[in-house]
Amino acid sequence: MKKVNALILTGFGLNCDDETAHVFELAGATSHKVHINALVSGKIKLEDFHIIAFGGGFSWGDDHGAGVIQALKLKNHVGKDLLSFVDQGKLIIGICNGFQALVNLGLLPGLDNDYTKRSVSITFNDCGNFRDQWVHLAANLKSPCVFTKDIQMADYPIRHGEGKIIADQKIIDTLVANNQVVFQYADTAGTPAKGVFPLNPNGSMEDISGICDPSGRIFGLMPHPEAYNHFTNHPDWTRKVQTLKREGKSLDKEMTIGVKLFKNGVDYIQESFF
Amino acid sequence: MISCIEIALKKELRDAEAFSLKKKADSYFGINIQEARCIHIVTIESDLDLHQLEAVKDEILTNPVTQVSSLNPLDIGFHWCIWVGFRPGVKDNPGATAMEAIQDYLGKSFGPDEGIYTSKRYCLKGNALVREDVEKLASELLSNTIIQQFKIFSIEEWDKDMGANVKPAKVILDHTPCFEVVSIESDEQLAKISDERNLALNPRDIPVIREYFLDSKVLESRKEVGLCQPTDVELEYISQARSDHCNHNTFQGIFRYKDMTSNEESIENSLFKTYIKEPTLKLKDKKDWVISVLWDNAGVGRFDDENNYVVTGETHNSPSNMEAYGGAITGIVGVYRDPMGTGLGSKLFMGSFGYCVGDVNYNGPLKPPLHPRRLLDGVIEGVKDGGNKSGVPTTFGQTLFNPGYMGKSLVFVTALGIMPSKVKGKPSHEKKTSPGELIVMSGGRVGKDGIHGVTASSESYSENTPAGHVQIGDPYTQKKMHDFLLICRDEGLIPFITDNGGGGLSSSIGESAMISNGCVVWLDRVPLKYEGLDMWEIWVSESQERMTIAVKPENLHRYMELSAEHEVESTVIGEYTDTGKLHIKYKDETCAYVDMDLLDKGFPSWEFDAIWISPEARGLTEPVISSPSDFNKLLLSMLERPNLASKEWIIRQYDHEVKGGSVIKPLVGVNHNIPSDASVTRPVLASQKGLAFTQSLLPWYSKIDAFHMMTCTIDEAVRRLIAVGANFDHIGGLDNFCWPNILFDPENNPDGKFKAAQLVRACRALKEACEKYEIPLLSGKDSMYVDGHLEGEFGERVKVSALETVQFSATSVIDDVAKCISMDPKVSGDLVYVLGVTRNELGASEYYESFHKTGLNVPHVDFDKFKVIYRALQKAIENELVASCHAIARGGLAVHLSYMTMAGGLGLEVNLSDLPKDKGRGRLSNEAVLFSESAGRFIVTISPENKTIFEKLFKGIASACLGFVTDQHNRLKIFSPDKDALIDLSMKELEKAFNKTFGDMI
Repeated sequence: MKKVNALILTGFGLNCDDETAHVFELAGATSHKVHINALVSGKIKLEDFHIIAFGGGFSWGDDHGAGVIQALKLKNHVGKDLLSFVDQGKLIIGICNGFQALVNLGLLPGLDNDYTKRSVSITFNDCGNFRDQWVHLAANLKSPCVFTKDIQMADYPIRHGEGKIIADQKIIDTLVANNQVVFQYADTAGTPAKGVFPLNPNGSMEDISGICDPSGRIFGLMPHPEAYNHFTNHPDWTRKVQTLKREGKSLDKEMTIGVKLFKNGVDYIQESFF
Repeated sequence: MISCIEIALKKELRDAEAFSLKKKADSYFGINIQEARCIHIVTIESDLDLHQLEAVKDEILTNPVTQVSSLNPLDIGFHWCIWVGFRPGVKDNPGATAMEAIQDYLGKSFGPDEGIYTSKRYCLKGNALVREDVEKLASELLSNTIIQQFKIFSIEEWDKDMGANVKPAKVILDHTPCFEVVSIESDEQLAKISDERNLALNPRDIPVIREYFLDSKVLESRKEVGLCQPTDVELEYISQARSDHCNHNTFQGIFRYKDMTSNEESIENSLFKTYIKEPTLKLKDKKDWVISVLWDNAGVGRFDDENNYVVTGETHNSPSNMEAYGGAITGIVGVYRDPMGTGLGSKLFMGSFGYCVGDVNYNGPLKPPLHPRRLLDGVIEGVKDGGNKSGVPTTFGQTLFNPGYMGKSLVFVTALGIMPSKVKGKPSHEKKTSPGELIVMSGGRVGKDGIHGVTASSESYSENTPAGHVQIGDPYTQKKMHDFLLICRDEGLIPFITDNGGGGLSSSIGESAMISNGCVVWLDRVPLKYEGLDMWEIWVSESQERMTIAVKPENLHRYMELSAEHEVESTVIGEYTDTGKLHIKYKDETCAYVDMDLLDKGFPSWEFDAIWISPEARGLTEPVISSPSDFNKLLLSMLERPNLASKEWIIRQYDHEVKGGSVIKPLVGVNHNIPSDASVTRPVLASQKGLAFTQSLLPWYSKIDAFHMMTCTIDEAVRRLIAVGANFDHIGGLDNFCWPNILFDPENNPDGKFKAAQLVRACRALKEACEKYEIPLLSGKDSMYVDGHLEGEFGERVKVSALETVQFSATSVIDDVAKCISMDPKVSGDLVYVLGVTRNELGASEYYESFHKTGLNVPHVDFDKFKVIYRALQKAIENELVASCHAIARGGLAVHLSYMTMAGGLGLEVNLSDLPKDKGRGRLSNEAVLFSESAGRFIVTISPENKTIFEKLFKGIASACLGFVTDQHNRLKIFSPDKDALIDLSMKELEKAFNKTFGDMI
């Protein structure tokens, strides 16, 4: 079978490339860690890949707005290549800093087929500080997002100081109406957090934690699905093991909901391109 | 041309930074700000035209959704405005990244006269605000005059067009670099020069230095390169190399130890050799997992067949005491270079912190350089930015409070890396420099920062301590370098690498050239932040984020190619030789030419008198306190004590799971808010193996005897590891000593001999514990001057010394992380066991502290007995018999049962009648049982079906089933042997107390 090639951006302070590459491998893809400057110099071409992952980290130290300089550099040097990548029906996922880069590139939310307009911003958490915390996410079952197919709920960690998603109310309304809101912060039952801290850890409007473009092929989220690549990543795993054991069961150690998200992307490419 | 761009959040958006300012102004100073907004200012000195400036403003610096900006001062109303900017020469990280972005965007390069500088101004509204308030906010909250400057404007003083009138904070030295020849006619003269130049030469070293430079053979060989008397570069080199920080003179020194009770007298010739090196080397022979110890930047242990792990730890106390944020970020970023410079270089996979500070609510007359509250805020933030932006998870950390740390606070930072055991078929932990290899410096540039940092940290803090050694670490530059160097390593381009930390090039080249036996260095090629540095300054500058690498000439092209791709600056600054000489040149002139073996030329060891007076002879006794009648109230007040209360807010600010390998997190339990015994991480994601890591700090016991402080600290670390499922046969240790000055001086340090004896005793304990538990010391450091001379009410200065402190870190490798366990009770009906013996060991306990008492009965460690418990427990965990496990530590049984209750979210009922006890150290009152800090103990919960097999494993070992976990109520109930309920508290009450002290901090 042909291999799905996933490109994981590296360099300039990005720092989740190892685990993002690992999780794509678990999902059945071949991972390629590529330095941003290898794209800028043209040594490596986007067209050779099926999925681009804009991963987490502190690109350029996040000194002038998270993901801003990364977006600017990519737009400046490979902006057209990115747009044609999108046109070819391939996939882009942006996680945390990568999501921040995608909104600054304008690839998200991609309203009215405009993939260059900055209309959503991801800004400082209401709590005023960086925060590492596992969150419950409720997925929008009507969303076109290809990454969240068959996912209803997921627990992933957030690790950010700037994760509050804001936009004009009109934009937010459109995102909701288009089902571009993919994930919302929620309680354990899957009911949206309604802004209550710390269920909603940053004060995002409408509890939004992830959005996609209208096609569902560009996806950005603040939580880190790649950090749930192994069953022992979940904060409650030791507890689950014991409670299941008493019921004569054991914990599913195969595929986490983190890996599942990436596998959806890989499967989509396999179905659509091969 | 100078232009200022002002950027602010749109008015309707929440300004989190301003909000935090308002909150702190109110809670710290009672100053009421009604409204605050923060404006970021980017000052550009360049020839950009208006069109370009607009583009920079709109495309790079302004988010159209959230921000407004202008090339003129933003018209935002205020009663008072505070502007804060860096002092010239202080590392301005946002300024540097703005420059990078602008260069890329406009395709222009900035010349030496151009630059970008960032600053901020805060617009404050408040009818009651007066200038005095605003000055307080500016100087005690928003800026630190060591690195920053501020200006205050009332609305009347504000010029709407001129704004804050920000000038570029650039360094202009206007100085032609030179070196000086120093006259050394007499010892006195050299001593005077040492004082004047802040060389901190030890008086006993001075004759040796003179003798060398006056030697006729030396003079003859120096003549050939045009030198006669020593140059300042040479003296600085010797000063760095001989400093306590680099040479560990204390641990290599001679101690004349006398026990005043037993009249035992002994001579200790080197604490390091006797108590650290020898036992560790013996264990290295015995344990094949120990790969490399005692010589490199960090120790190396085997992780699996293909990978080794690397561990080291440091303190960064002195700088953090003057500029907490800068000191701490420099500390964490600095310690992260050690694994990068170990062997051929390792990849960082985790870090940790330890903070020891004074009382955050202190309101007495003493004036530390920074109030403990402010210091802690700054330190937390520094490690946050340094750790998070390095992309390294901070998986463990502790914070403790004691008045002694107001003299000098402690900031411990620890780093772990992982590397393939072989690179291109050769062992990765071996490295060497060879003649003909080029000396390359990669990373940041050199400025005046950090000059004399090493010698300053080897002194007590005083009003004369130079502030210039405070820096701000740059994790961004270092992260780029980290990624780049790993690629170079894997391509086999690096035969040797080390970091530039204390002592700068003087240490990194000085030490690495010992291997090849010589070097030539061309100081004029070292890239500088600004012109005008003298040669000695370039040589000893501690500017951060730099590594020194040996590169073979044939590999230079590839090395430089990768360096350029990763946008890391690399420069060839010399060559390793085998001439036996350290030869430093600046252009055509030689400014240093000394023998590589100069440092072996019979420099005298430091000498100390150590007088031990036993606690009994010092008059310590158990305090007289009758049994309390309200144990519920007592326990709640214990949980509120800063050292036992929740410090979740600190841990949450640190990314503890980047790299995707988190198995046991620093906070556990049903609400993810109770500190874990240890963290477990998978550094190799494709593997089931994990690395367990923990740390302990029990400095209070030093009030009685530092010997027991040391044994208890190590025992606690071992227990914490075992509690998560670690392997007792693989425990690596890391000792970080922080001691007050031990050199006796009748006026300035009258108790120096006692503190020296405490050090000897701690080292003896270290050896005993390591031998008994078979813990090789993979790495270790010492920081010997944790004293401060604080200004008091009447202009006097009071010396405040810290407790004799050791942070002990421990590592273990776990074969299958699926068997790890956490400390939260998990299932109703599970049985609660206590393992280990409880004695009357309340000496220096948190319980006695709560009555401001010390006592005498410090906990003792019985290694042989405890070992049996640990092995049995390890076996029980391996056999999956244990549902939860927790080491009983500071605060004792009742406090740790409270933690477990909260972690489990379930009720706990415990009866003390069967508790394994030993009255050998005194009667066991109820309070002694509840709060004694006897070592070697655990609380364990197991499923009832495992009862028989579990008890069989513990047959003959001190252990007892005391109760059960229940979902019938959510209370902690502890019954005394006569069935009285000593403790009966609801979860809510426990949580309220646990979160009372710091719970509202985020």
